[in-house]
Amino acid sequence: MQYRPDADELLDAVADLLERQVIAAVPPHLQHQVRVAANLCRILQREAQLGTTNDDAERHRLAALLGHDGSLLELRAELAARLDDPAPLDAVTDRAVRDALLATVRADLAIAKPGYDATAGTP
Amino acid sequence: MSGGSPDEQPEATALGAFLARTWECDPAGVRVRIAGQSTAGARRRNLVLDVEGGPHPGRYVATVLPTADIAILSMVDEAAVRTLARAHGVPVPEVVAVTDDESIVGGACFVSEFVAGETIPRRVLRLVAEHGVGSRIVTQLGGAFAALHAIDPAEAPAAMAAPAAPVTAALDGVGVAVAGLLRPEPAFSYVLRWLRDHRPAEPAARRIVHADVRTGNVIVDATGLRAILDWETAKVGDPMEDLAWVCTRMWRFGEDHLTVGGLGAVDTLRDAYVAAGGTWDDERFHWWRVLVTMRWGTGLAGQAAMHLDGRFSSVVMAASGRRVAEMAHDALALLDT
Repeated sequence: MQYRPDADELLDAVADLLERQVIAAVPPHLQHQVRVAANLCRILQREAQLGTTNDDAERHRLAALLGHDGSLLELRAELAARLDDPAPLDAVTDRAVRDALLATVRADLAIAKPGYDATAGTP
Repeated sequence: MSGGSPDEQPEATALGAFLARTWECDPAGVRVRIAGQSTAGARRRNLVLDVEGGPHPGRYVATVLPTADIAILSMVDEAAVRTLARAHGVPVPEVVAVTDDESIVGGACFVSEFVAGETIPRRVLRLVAEHGVGSRIVTQLGGAFAALHAIDPAEAPAAMAAPAAPVTAALDGVGVAVAGLLRPEPAFSYVLRWLRDHRPAEPAARRIVHADVRTGNVIVDATGLRAILDWETAKVGDPMEDLAWVCTRMWRFGEDHLTVGGLGAVDTLRDAYVAAGGTWDDERFHWWRVLVTMRWGTGLAGQAAMHLDGRFSSVVMAASGRRVAEMAHDALALLDT
């Protein structure tokens, strides 16, 4: 096991450096990139915390829709292929698929952009 | 913007000679100073020019497409469509000179009148909030769209994209994009399926559309809308695409309660568009909103791919991959509205 700081603490240190010192020290055309890099550190911190749980939950949702288990990538590919097939879905399945996909994008947003799905107004 | 520097003198001289040729006057009499430079548009350079002497002294902007870059619409054709739109009452800075000669300033360019005001989104929204002109701008946008969409598309530059069936072309385009994703994205497959199941008829009349009117591509000041910029995406298509794109969430820059570019309400846009003679169709509008939202999602995925395969390695392009979920969310959520 690695000694501390752990991954989360290291990403925090890198993000702090970028946000507090590097942005002010680089020429203007690099500032946006540094800001984005700092934000990516924050995303990775949340991904380290939530990623495994989110992926498990998504795999369970897909397995329930498709009626069998598999790896997350396999299940995603299978659902995408079913959706690409123009054969109609029944209304119950259609709604269930949409709800499952919305649950997944919300979980993705909890990592990539927390709060994005909670904002008022039309999407 | 950055101030002029001695390095810019050869460009200023070359632009002065170019303007003198256009104006058919003595080049010695036209003096150009580069007063500022902006690369906010990323691909293009915009040089602010102060012109002294000659028949038309004043402040101008030279828009330059770097030689290495591939134009969606050539600068000459873009200048033509700008001039056409302006002649029909769309607020567009007047183009005074255009050339496809890439030797003058390192790329094809046109020179247009300088229009004062803000373009940077957060500054635009701050200014709009201070002066309470958001609804007025949305009304002006509705009028500008109606004026643009009233133009006979036969007048458009011949080289402009003009798919015979714009709905089908757009649907096929997102279909190709979804098929080309680095790995299957069921949310996009679902939305694509919805788009296919709900596709509207082709528009009764194809029209010239700008296809990228949004906060960030307009100049505003305390009095309202001053100009619509960046016409390189103009094409002949379905007018509802323009009205949908300006309502996409990323152009609200956080002002999410104001659907139209963080500026105002859809009702205001619709009323102004109709009052100015436009034909509004709620169903097509909704369909195009879903389509352009998802298309931007596949565009972000494409940026991530360009980073990964080395065509354009950049942390910003890489980060676009983590923004795909935003568009997937918005497209799915739109289906229930």
